[in-house]
Amino acid sequence: MNRIITYVITLLPYLAVTFQYVLTSLFFGTIFGFVLAAAKLGKNKALKRLAIGYTTVMRCTPSIVFLFLIFYGLPVLFRTTAGINIDGLGTITFVIITFTLFLGASLSEIMRSAYESVDRGQYEAAVSIGLSSIQAFREIILPQAFAVSLPNMGNTILFLLKEGALGYIIGLIDIMGKAYLINGNEMGAHILEVYLALSLIYWTLSIGIERLFKYLEGRFSFEKENKDTITYRRG
Amino acid sequence: MDFDFKFMIDTFFMALKGIPTTLMLTVTAMLIALPAGFFMAVVRRSKTPAASQLIAVYVSYMRGTPLILQIFLLYNLLPTVLNVLFQALHIPINIFNVSNSIYAIVIFSLCETAILEEVFRSALGTVDKGQLEAASTVGLSPFQGYIHIVIPQALVSALPVLCNTTTDLIKMTSLAFNMSVLDMTAIAKIQAAMQLSYIEAYLSIFFLYLILVLVIERIFGLVERRLRIYQKG
Repeated sequence: MNRIITYVITLLPYLAVTFQYVLTSLFFGTIFGFVLAAAKLGKNKALKRLAIGYTTVMRCTPSIVFLFLIFYGLPVLFRTTAGINIDGLGTITFVIITFTLFLGASLSEIMRSAYESVDRGQYEAAVSIGLSSIQAFREIILPQAFAVSLPNMGNTILFLLKEGALGYIIGLIDIMGKAYLINGNEMGAHILEVYLALSLIYWTLSIGIERLFKYLEGRFSFEKENKDTITYRRG
Repeated sequence: MDFDFKFMIDTFFMALKGIPTTLMLTVTAMLIALPAGFFMAVVRRSKTPAASQLIAVYVSYMRGTPLILQIFLLYNLLPTVLNVLFQALHIPINIFNVSNSIYAIVIFSLCETAILEEVFRSALGTVDKGQLEAASTVGLSPFQGYIHIVIPQALVSALPVLCNTTTDLIKMTSLAFNMSVLDMTAIAKIQAAMQLSYIEAYLSIFFLYLILVLVIERIFGLVERRLRIYQKG
């Protein structure tokens, strides 16, 4: 038991790396997902088909296969097409690129369905009282779509946290990679303790994220609006 | 660096031989997890003390930790635990001779059961409680009520999600190489390392997974259309 606690303490600093790729992928994934969702909801047929096709392909691909493709393929692609050498990039960059591409696909679906869940009449009502279409989107549609998308967002972040653990395979030293290294150095002497310590960290994190999103759902929900006007507040 | 197209095609056909393994892992784990997950969902909905809390902790753990970690943990833990258990019970099985596929199936089943428990729990929630009561007033036992009334309806509402969990499971089995099981990914990985042609090898299974998952989705789509007769309204 003491040993497990020692390993938890050894592993904890490496959470910084895990958080780094989770937050960065989430940031770029959200931007990419927004672009894809806009393409899916837009009028341009070609762009729409491209976005849907991309989402389908990403949905069908195991993370590990795509991670390998990015890790081995991207440097070659850059060297042959643009003559740029990106071998020097850290492994974390490849992990971030991989999961940005994954998240773009899944977040675009979440955003699209959230957008479509908001009644079209709301937009029309907003425009009829004199809001511009951008204002209507920002003030009326977006807050509601955001509230609808929260549970799925939570799941996506959990997916990212868990699948990101695969980064150790290409040599990333996050908490998973560090645990793997410890076992290598100790010849697997305390393999169970190390992995138990690691699963405690992941478990705690996951429960924390789940709780956070449950809380956010309650805070941003529009369902209970008859209780006290609107529970959603900005900022 | 030139692209070795022939090697990619060769690997594609070699990895094709891994499809039975991938499908075997998926189908077996699914067949174990479906009843187990359903049973757990029913127990947890019935709020049986101790049992439902235990299931909640199990599901939370399985869903809160990466699959790769569960594989590492259980793959190292299971043989030792089972060995002690079997020796204590005088079961004449040498646990260290058990094939790796069995461990893979056990681990994927454990994970899938947790996922399906949640799916079924929410699916059962979509079927009105009054239906079970109505079934009992016309003389059906609770078991019959579940079989004839509740399950068909819950299944229809769960089917799209079941399709997703099945394709997710296919993707999950790509980690089976960690247990030395020769599935599609493992074959491609070996080929890639032998020829040092990583891109070609992984591209070939990239296409293979794409085809496989799309076929499975199509099958589910057909079943879904067939089962829609049970839908209310």
